[in-house]
Amino acid sequence: MNLRVLYMLLAGVLVVWVLLPIFLIATLAFSDRSSVFAWPKGLLPQQFSLETIAFFFGVEGVWKAIRNSLTVAAMTLVFSVLLGAPAGYALARYRFAGADAYRLLILMTRAFPLAILAIPLAVQFIQLGIYDTAFGVALVHTALALPFAVLVTSSLFLGIPKELEEAAWTLGCDRIQAFLRVVLPLALPGLAATAIFAFVISWNEVFAATLLTLRERTLPAFLLTSLNDSPLPFRFAGGFFLIVPALIFIFIIRRYLFTLWGIANR
Amino acid sequence: MASIRVENIEKTFGKFKALNGVSLEVRDQEFVVLLGPSGCGKTTLLRIIAGLEQAEKGRVWIGDRDVTELPPRARKIAMVFQNYAVFPHLTVFENIAFGLRMQKATPEKLRANVERAATLMHIENLLERYPAQLSGGQRQRVAVARALAVEPEVLLMDEPLSNLDALLRLEMRAELKRLLAESRTTTLYVTHDQVEAMSLADRIAVMNTGYVVQYDEPMKVYQEPANTFVGGFIGSPPMNFLKVRVEGQQAQLQSLSLKIPTPAPGPEVLLGVRPEDLEAYLEPQPQSFTAEVLVVEPLGPHLLLTLRFGQQLLKATVPPDFRVRAGQTLWFKPQPDRLRWLDPGSGQALAAR
Repeated sequence: MNLRVLYMLLAGVLVVWVLLPIFLIATLAFSDRSSVFAWPKGLLPQQFSLETIAFFFGVEGVWKAIRNSLTVAAMTLVFSVLLGAPAGYALARYRFAGADAYRLLILMTRAFPLAILAIPLAVQFIQLGIYDTAFGVALVHTALALPFAVLVTSSLFLGIPKELEEAAWTLGCDRIQAFLRVVLPLALPGLAATAIFAFVISWNEVFAATLLTLRERTLPAFLLTSLNDSPLPFRFAGGFFLIVPALIFIFIIRRYLFTLWGIANR
Repeated sequence: MASIRVENIEKTFGKFKALNGVSLEVRDQEFVVLLGPSGCGKTTLLRIIAGLEQAEKGRVWIGDRDVTELPPRARKIAMVFQNYAVFPHLTVFENIAFGLRMQKATPEKLRANVERAATLMHIENLLERYPAQLSGGQRQRVAVARALAVEPEVLLMDEPLSNLDALLRLEMRAELKRLLAESRTTTLYVTHDQVEAMSLADRIAVMNTGYVVQYDEPMKVYQEPANTFVGGFIGSPPMNFLKVRVEGQQAQLQSLSLKIPTPAPGPEVLLGVRPEDLEAYLEPQPQSFTAEVLVVEPLGPHLLLTLRFGQQLLKATVPPDFRVRAGQTLWFKPQPDRLRWLDPGSGQALAAR
């Protein structure tokens, strides 16, 4: 019984630890300027106002950064699914020499520090003429999202029995028809989750985006470079817009994250 | 409808030789069962005929067509899988219609075929359901209906009953037999269950270690096994094999002397006799041999006796009211027309009588 109390207490601390900053950011983003500096702070927004938000969107470059972020994230999503899903399918369906090594290698790319890559990458991007473009940032973000895309889709396809495809073959499908008619409908929710996950990774990524852009900043890169010399309300509004999409996406795909971590099966 | 013919099929998985040059012919409208222990290559052979595996050597014919190089979709087959492989995202109706849609059948033909197949399998009231809402037995019926709906030339079944519980399996077995007798589709059926094979087959192909060991009608396979493997694999309890000394043309078991129909290969010969073909007596009999009862197991329809005859163990079944205890000595007479003579060295049956 005592253990249970302790467990609940720990869980409570963790919840407060995570939720309190989000709560403060959210309430203050929707308060007027004076309450941002007020002390002590109330539980609810004292003066509900869209002033801070409006100010945030009024700042030069915010809209462009949001547009850039969306472009980069959308490209990352498309690249990750188009490259990751076939690789995941191959890992799930075919036995080939070095399959396990390949699987490990994919994970290892995540262990490689981006900081070491950053300078050579920037130089290379300048030479290729894709420095400071959405496409260039999307390429790096795809590299970051791809390991997840490959591993999640591979476990996704593994969960679809091979016999279903074979049954489709015997019933008159070629391989592509069988994939489109049987495997794809069953894999669609998981593929959607993979896509959203790639989107979130790109949306939240700040390091590569900061290094590889100058004028075409994504939202995190833009905020990072402008936060230090911005008024406090602006920081709250910026923080709010960084957190919200990620929260929503994680909430939608949490079921598939559990699969990825092997906690539960579909 | 068509016959199936495979010739000299060889298949290796890595270092494991799954099929060692198998040849087999299934006649038009025949029901043939591939029977064997796990790892004998029976499923591999079926999958090669379906086109799901490629053989290294050999050819496959369906009817007059050499289908060796054809993909599964072009072979005019249908297959029922062990785990049913019913499409979970489609209703029962769409599952059964799947093959017909691929054939681009007209709406009228599609509806007619689906309804006929569903009615045959008694699932006509489940057509709007999804597989998740069905029991294992019902999914099995959907799988069979889906295979029958495309009117295949050849129906291939891979242990279709092995995932059902015992009672349902018995029911489905009888139903399959009725159904396939009605539809008269050429069928090749894989199982490791010898009772299933005996009950369903027109002919049984017994397989072991990548060879077809015997290919004959069920009762022939049962009564005249080609070697000790077949005799031991089919029948529960399996056939007894007694080592017997040969004197001239006679095999001698105590007071019992039996004529060997063909010249014996050596000083000893194996006598194969089914447990139910040994008649037991409490009193001494002429032309009999004695054995000591080690264990008595009452099984309901009969008693199963484990006996010691010299250094050898054997099994016999006797009527349930037979009064016998462990430790007793009994006299046995085998049914003379149910004996099988085998070479003790190779385990092969001696040439036919």
